[in-house]
This record gives sequence, structure tokens and C-alpha cells, in this order.
Amino acid sequence: MATSNSLSGTVQAMAGTIDPDAGISAAGEPITEAEALQRLRQSEDHSQQYYAAWWLGRHRSRHPEALPLLLATLRQRRPRDPGAGVEENAIARNAARALGKLGDASAIPELLAALDDGDDGLREAAARSLGELQATEAVAVLLRRLASGPAGAGAPRLDSPRLQEPCEAMLEALGAIGIAEPGVITLIEAFTAHDRPLIRSAACRALLQLSGEARWADPLVQLLDHPQLQVRRAALMDLGAVGWRPALEPICRTLVENSLKLFALRGLVEQGEHHDAEIAIESVLNAMDSLL
Amino acid sequence: MDRIDARIRAVRQADSAQTLLAATAVLATSDHGDSISGEAIACLVEVLGFNNPGAAAAAVNGLIRLGPMAVEPILESLDPRNYGARAWAVRALAGIGDGRGLDLLEEALGSDIGPSVRLAAARGLGQLRLDTLGEPLRLAVQTRCLQALVAGCSDGEWVVRYAVAVGLEGIGLADFNSEHLRPASRQALLGLSQPDGEAVPVVRLRAALALRRLDGQPSA
Repeated sequence: MATSNSLSGTVQAMAGTIDPDAGISAAGEPITEAEALQRLRQSEDHSQQYYAAWWLGRHRSRHPEALPLLLATLRQRRPRDPGAGVEENAIARNAARALGKLGDASAIPELLAALDDGDDGLREAAARSLGELQATEAVAVLLRRLASGPAGAGAPRLDSPRLQEPCEAMLEALGAIGIAEPGVITLIEAFTAHDRPLIRSAACRALLQLSGEARWADPLVQLLDHPQLQVRRAALMDLGAVGWRPALEPICRTLVENSLKLFALRGLVEQGEHHDAEIAIESVLNAMDSLL
Repeated sequence: MDRIDARIRAVRQADSAQTLLAATAVLATSDHGDSISGEAIACLVEVLGFNNPGAAAAAVNGLIRLGPMAVEPILESLDPRNYGARAWAVRALAGIGDGRGLDLLEEALGSDIGPSVRLAAARGLGQLRLDTLGEPLRLAVQTRCLQALVAGCSDGEWVVRYAVAVGLEGIGLADFNSEHLRPASRQALLGLSQPDGEAVPVVRLRAALALRRLDGQPSA
């Protein structure tokens, strides 16, 4: 009965509001699983495939055909060609996102290959899904892609406001995968000095997840006072993803929609056990009640 | 009175999100003395539709402070095309807890497309203030609230089911006619507290907390 049971899915749904693919999404009318599979199987109507790939991820389909169909859709991508239609790539990105939500590790090799695709949007989707799948195999590739640091991988592109690499997604994936080796920590630390607050936020989130050290929470708590709403939202969701209960008070105070605060506080309840037993679950639940 | 008028003007003339928030907060916490200005209520109701979460939250608090007088203006202002404003209006009505909001809260939880609207409605259905009603009417109203909340246990959004658990706790804790309402609300909470009935941990934890509170509270 519960269909929306993933915190990270929520964060990604939020990311979807600034998703460049959002424009070609088909209308969100209710469909059945059989209908979604059928729409993904055909290849004439791209918007139907795009919606079907999203649907199977959103509903965490367990149908035996879902995984092979999504993998086939991921393979459907083409080399990047700015002049040509890129709809196959948009569908491939949605397939990559859905593969993270199915929770089946057999998708990992193809997602790993997508981390080296020429389309940075696909690399971003693949990184997030590999993080969701906690794919330790992905750490080496993520480190390689980020190795040039804030001045290389983190440099702005000339043709768009995006960075050379989808740093935010890649840093978050490293945090979610959870390998706290010195090489990983050192690389992520370099990004805590990035010009863009969203990148700093993602780096601190990953370091907080990997080390549990409070010093990485402080910059996130400070970003809750940032003048830009988008930055406050990101810091809020990052603290929630880590489950950092000491941030309960600042989270309650920050100027962000209550709906997002509730998602973050859910994270404090569900992910927060290992960080701080001082703040009891009941305090967080009381704070959630007052946001309803 | 003049001071209130100046504060209303400050809200209407605000030219940035920050000044709107500040002016709304000042108006919302004003002491209205004996004569509450209809204009002040109208002004706070307008702010609900401005897509400024901080200012809308302040306006909701102000409307809840003003209480039952604000109910009719809020009901009249409802705009079916503005989900944000509807959510704030339902939240204000939920906070005021006036029985005139029942139809709206019931309908909102059962069929509104916006999760934030259903959430606010669920919260409100658990905390209507019905002490001025006679016993038979009170029970009838609370039974409607309970039925709407039980149906809300199968909402597709976890955050709505969380609010349903809070609402069921409110109904169950109401200190009158508990033998009618408490068993049914306990049963619904039991479903929300178990993994085979509820997939999301935080909802189960909240339902379990509600059950502990109901069990700690002797029946009236």
C-alpha cells in the first residue's frame, strides 16, 4: 500500500524539478505495471518509454521483465551528438535512475559503464543509482572521474552552467557507498572548498556519512542560513540523508517549506541511530508533529 | 486601530519576500484589543496565496490567534487552482479547530490532489474543538473525523499517513465518549504500527508512540 517509501527517492524527485529532461515527461496518468512494461517494450513513442522507465522505478517494480527491459533501454543511448535528437539519451537517463530504485545488484556493471559515458546527465543518474545500490565497485571509477579536483572536475563548463563532472551526485554517491578509505576522504575534502555552496554541501554530507565527525556538520548547519532558498534546501536534505540529529533545532528554524523539513526529519529518525543517542526519537517526532 | 491599519498597509506594500515576511509577522502578532479588524483578517488570508512560505506560515499563526472569526473569510477565499494557498488555508482551519471546517477537512483528506493539503487536513481532523457542541452532535462529528482518518491510513504518501497517525491519536485522546472512539482509533493505529500494514519506519514509530500515549491515558 505504501508506494513512496524511499528517502533518497524523494531527494531525487526534488532534483527532478530542475531536471533538464523534465520537459518531455508524459502526463502522469495512473497506469498498471503491465502497461508500463508494454510502453517500455515498444520503441516508437519515446515519451511513453520515458514515462514507463520512470514509473517502474517509482513503483520499485519486481516484475522479472523490468530489469532486462530497463537495461535494454539504458543500452539504447547514442554517442553524444549535439545536433541530433537526444531522446534515447533522456530515456536512458530515466532507465539509469530506475535501476537504482529496483535494488538489484545485477544492474551494477552497466551502470558502471554509464559512469564513463559522454553524456554528463547520464553520468549523474548512474552515479546516484550506484550510490543507492551501495556499489563498492563504483568507488574506483568515481575517484578517477573526480581526481582532478575542484579546479578540474569541478570547473564550470563553457557551454552550460553545469560543471565538467556531475560533482554533486558523484560526491553523494561516495558518501552513500560508505568506503571510508583515506584516499576517498582526502579527495572529497578538496571539494569542501568549492566555489558553489551546493558542491560544498554534497562534500560535507559525504564526509559526515563516512567519518561521523561533527566538524563536517557545522558547514551544513551554517548553509541552513544561506540567503538562497535552493542552498538551504540542499543543506537540509543533506543533513536529513545523514540523519544528523544534533541539527534538529537549526532544521526546525530554517526558512524552508515544512514538507521538505518533514522529509529531512524522517531521515533524522530513520538514519540517526548511529550518530547521537542524546536526541531521542520522540523529540524528533514531536518536532515533526509541529510541522504538520 | 490606526496602528493596525498601518501594519496592513506595510504588508500590502511589501516589495520583497523579506519585507513581506517581516510585515506579515508584525501584523500576525498584533494585539487587536477589543475590535478585530476584518481588514486585518482579509490581509492575512491574502498572504496565504503569495507563494512565500515564511510569510504564509506567519499569516497562518496570526489567523489561528484570531480564532473562529477568521473561519468564514478563510472558507470564502479558497482557490481550487492554488494548491499552496489551499494547504495553508486548511492548515489555518485545522489550527483554529472550528467545526465549520469539518466538510472541508474531510473532503481535503479524501480527495485533494496535493499531499500537503491532505496532510494538513488529517492533522486538523484530530484536533477539532467541539466542547461547545451537545453530546450527540459531538459524537457524530467525531465519528465522521474518525472515519475519514481510518480511510486515510491507505493514503499513497507516507507523510499523509504520518499525519493520520497524529490525528488518530488526537481522536483517541479526546476525553469524552472514549469508549466509542478509542477502540476504533487504536485498531487503525495498530495497523499503521506494524510492518505488514505500513512500509515506512517513521510512520510505524509515530503510530507506536500514539498507542503508548493512548494506553497511558485512562478512559474517561
